[in-house]
Amino acid sequence: MIDGRRKFDICVAPSHKCSGIEVNMGPNLLANYGEAVSAILFCIGFTNLLLQTNLIKKIIGLNIMDSAIYLFLAEKGYIAGRVAPIVVDGVTSTEAYINPIPSGLVLTGIVVSVSVTALMLSLTIRLYTRYHTLDLDEISMQLKKEGR
Amino acid sequence: MYCILLSIFFPILAGLFLLIRFRTPLAGEKKNEDRKKLLLLTGTFLVTTALLTAAALLTATERFTLFYLTETLPIYFKIDTTGTLFSLLAMIVVLCAGFFSFEYMKHEEREGRYYGFYLIVFGVLNALCFAGNLITFYLFFELLTLSSMPLVLHCGTKEAVMAGLKYLFYSLCGAYAGLFGIYFLYQYTDTLTFFHGSLYVTAIAEHGGFLLLIAFIMILGFGVKAGMFPMHAWLPTAHPVAPAPASALLSAMIVKAGVLAIIRVTHFFGDDFLQGTWVQTAWICLTLVTIFMGSLLAYREPILKKRLAYSTVSQLSYILFGLAVMNEEAYIGSVLQVLAHGFVKAALFLCAGAFIYKTGKTRVDELRGIGREMPLTLWCWTIASLGLIGIPPTGGFISKWYLAIGSLKSNIPVLGVLGPIILLVSALLTAGYLLPITVRGFFPGADYDRNPLEKKEPGKLMTVPILILTTLSVLIGLFPDSVAFIWH
Amino acid sequence: MNFVCNFPFFSILLSLFSGTICSVLPAKAAKIVNRVVIVVVGLLSATLLLYLISVGEPFIYWMGHFPAPWGNEIRAGILEAGMALFFCIIMYLSMAGGAHKLFDEVDESKHNLYYILVNLLLSSLLALVYTNDMFTAYVFVEINTISACGLIMIRQVGRTIEAAVRYMIMSLLGSGLLLFGLCIMYDLTGHLLMSNIKESVALLVASGEYQIPLIVSVALMCVGLCIKSALFPFHAWLPDAYGYSTVSSAAILSSLVSKGYIFLLIKIIYRVIGFNIFNNTRIIDVLFVFGLMGMIFGSTSAIRENDVRRMIAFSSVAQIGYIYMGFGMGTQAGMVASVYHILSHAATKSLLFIAAIGLTEVSGGSRKLVDLTGSGYRNKWAGVAFTAGSLSMVGIPLFSGFISKLLFAQAAVQVEGKMLASLIVLGISTILNAIYFMKTVIRLYTATGNSPYRGITFGKMKRYAITLIFFILLNILLGVSSQPIVDLIEQGLAMFS
Repeated sequence: MIDGRRKFDICVAPSHKCSGIEVNMGPNLLANYGEAVSAILFCIGFTNLLLQTNLIKKIIGLNIMDSAIYLFLAEKGYIAGRVAPIVVDGVTSTEAYINPIPSGLVLTGIVVSVSVTALMLSLTIRLYTRYHTLDLDEISMQLKKEGR
Repeated sequence: MYCILLSIFFPILAGLFLLIRFRTPLAGEKKNEDRKKLLLLTGTFLVTTALLTAAALLTATERFTLFYLTETLPIYFKIDTTGTLFSLLAMIVVLCAGFFSFEYMKHEEREGRYYGFYLIVFGVLNALCFAGNLITFYLFFELLTLSSMPLVLHCGTKEAVMAGLKYLFYSLCGAYAGLFGIYFLYQYTDTLTFFHGSLYVTAIAEHGGFLLLIAFIMILGFGVKAGMFPMHAWLPTAHPVAPAPASALLSAMIVKAGVLAIIRVTHFFGDDFLQGTWVQTAWICLTLVTIFMGSLLAYREPILKKRLAYSTVSQLSYILFGLAVMNEEAYIGSVLQVLAHGFVKAALFLCAGAFIYKTGKTRVDELRGIGREMPLTLWCWTIASLGLIGIPPTGGFISKWYLAIGSLKSNIPVLGVLGPIILLVSALLTAGYLLPITVRGFFPGADYDRNPLEKKEPGKLMTVPILILTTLSVLIGLFPDSVAFIWH
Repeated sequence: MNFVCNFPFFSILLSLFSGTICSVLPAKAAKIVNRVVIVVVGLLSATLLLYLISVGEPFIYWMGHFPAPWGNEIRAGILEAGMALFFCIIMYLSMAGGAHKLFDEVDESKHNLYYILVNLLLSSLLALVYTNDMFTAYVFVEINTISACGLIMIRQVGRTIEAAVRYMIMSLLGSGLLLFGLCIMYDLTGHLLMSNIKESVALLVASGEYQIPLIVSVALMCVGLCIKSALFPFHAWLPDAYGYSTVSSAAILSSLVSKGYIFLLIKIIYRVIGFNIFNNTRIIDVLFVFGLMGMIFGSTSAIRENDVRRMIAFSSVAQIGYIYMGFGMGTQAGMVASVYHILSHAATKSLLFIAAIGLTEVSGGSRKLVDLTGSGYRNKWAGVAFTAGSLSMVGIPLFSGFISKLLFAQAAVQVEGKMLASLIVLGISTILNAIYFMKTVIRLYTATGNSPYRGITFGKMKRYAITLIFFILLNILLGVSSQPIVDLIEQGLAMFS
């Protein structure tokens, strides 16, 4: 808890879940398995986006990368034992609910990544109809041959 | 104030006007055939600028700030004696070479561009002489490089363009080294004006060694323009390709901008600060190497203008040598050498230009018998050569005399004695590379076929400037006291 | 609250909505709407700037009625308002200078789409400049990317689509990293508003906890924005994207889009992490080294290039290196120099792109340097403008480039360890710049005797020439009266912290 005033801090995870430096890494990694998985997924997506030459695979990589971040946010935003902040039984104490903002961020992020994916796909279609291949390097080769 | 401003900006604006008015026609447009109008305008502008400069020099001792580049960096002008000297030299050389070009450039294309940039160079040279602080000086130093580059690559051949680029890059590198120093100096002084020793005393005490390094870098950097070894290579490339009057201007005046810069820089640091340090030793060594090497290369060079270019490399380092010795006699020698070399080298280049213009001969060995064809020009050449070698009563003698005296008096171990010896050797070499042209020109030898020779003396527009410059080069030797205001 | 305080919000919304409106308008009307919007936003920003100068302190504007930790905020200080004004000026000039080329290169029916994208880009730039909320910044970074990608591919040839794809890929990598960094930061501090994050980060640093995640987060955000602003070695996408898109796009991309990201990075440094905390990390050294490398490699690539547009594009890589070098110095002076260089480079680079197009037009449309020989005579205004831009790039006094180099050098001498490296690289880069720019200028003015191409006179390109004159004037203005601008930048940076 960084600042007592703020009720909706999301770093209110149980103490063993925080990734300290002085504690050894093993148990931390286990406790934070969600974050670890999302980081690994992020790296997978990132590498795919960067290194694949096939455009569709690149786009898949992009989606993996983005989803990893949403997983991270969702993981961070959830506190075990609490529920979504919808008041049904009159409990208004903030202690009973999780912070809704990370979920909101995830939603916004998804909208953004969908639109970006759509744009990428449309670009891919353009390139495919023109060059009949999805391989970016091959497209570059053809462009060089065209000499324009 | 107005005279200074006018003497700087009138020629620049006039040059721009010429550039726009007499621009190179496009393919399909009709040509600007009114050469007479161009010459008339250029002549008027040149004379007007000269008058304005004279007026500015007469109303001297004023100083003013034009505007502030940044809060602490004003563009500041002031006239001092060194500036006066250089601007006088600039005025004479520019006028003579300018009128010479009227004839010489007759058959060249794109004359409008040539005269336009010529006038701009005039204005920038004036500004450089009147610049009152290092940043103003740097500004016009860069502008000088840029505006004189079109003169170098005027004829537009691939070779000329490459030479122009070489000139540009050497100069820019040099100027950047100078700027590099200015950046540092900025920290250790509250003003960048050229006052004698304007550095903080505390700074000298604390960062002496570092400041010495800065001084050396600045001297090296500005020395590029003055053709100091090891960055002299641009001179022999740039001179031969430029039109002869442009090379005269380049060799007599534009390279002196580097000298002026070094005078400013050493004054800025103060003689006391540099005297007896490694900077002085290294500097003297470099100048001596340059003097000897320049003469030697000139001696071996078969192409006339290139030979003169190497000679410039050598002779400029005489000036720098005098500055590096840093005592009064040597300084007097340097100042005289500035004038003497300015007049002589301009005259020599114009003579070379006249040879090329009339006969098309560019190599030294082709010039046999030239004295029969163009006796007046060759006489001028001979007298000017004597000045460069340093034979009394020419200006070159007086200047070298003072340089040698200064060097011997300076008590610098080894170099103080070595200096005069190298000066002497170099003088011999100078005689060796200049006089054979006279000798062969007048006495081509018994086996030489004299029949095809005919009188080819150039017109007055060419001979008069050469005569004026030659006369001045002798007069400066006869009456060296006329410029004594510099060192008093 | 003064009415003027609404202006940032108005300008963002105005450009956003005008974009939507443009989609149903015919091309001509869309063009007018676009121009009017840019001018109006420029005027709003100018008023705002004057107001802020008179008030002397920044203000915070709530979006909606929620106070600090929950609501979304806009914040405006001198630097933000000034930057918005400057962006508008450059954008207007770039659009005006490239307007005639748009007709040649883009299908008439797509013109209104082009104006949609430009308006969107403007709104996202303004949002990046004004926002006080990290996630909003991220969203607008993506909008910026999408509209920039559209600007590249509006000219439908194979090259531009490929360039757009490459641009998109690199940008997405960048924004992915930015988002990840941002999420970690959110996780650590529990806030999204910049001012609140900064407080928490200060506490966090003081407490000594979570140092590694903090550094990781900062590093991720920095790397993300570096990729997006094409810092060496992430510049591979840049030459194609700038080199083949239509000229207005190239000018806008090089001078505004990348600068928008850099400005966001400055905000992150000052308003999110805190200047001193950022400077104590090793990140600035990394930025410094890559900045220096960019300065040299960008220029050497530009020297090897024989396509004028790509040459200018590579020179952008070098100039962005300058900006990051300024960040890397880790001093206030370095930062001021960088911000000044953002302005100076934006003014110069768009001028060069616009001038280059005039030169290629009179050379049969060829962009090869060989074909440009003598084109300075055929299109005089473009030739003069290109020369002016080149001189500014080389750093000749009286042009804006000199002042930024001067500021960099002055900043460098104050930093003990980095002084020598930065000054030497500055020198090398100046000389390299001189090599390719002066070479080109000489080529422009080398007469070719009988050239097959026809020249163009002033009468046929009045608007274009006037645009160029404004560009040159802007450059000289930045170069001659730099002090007031530097003062404003200093005040603006002081308002940041």
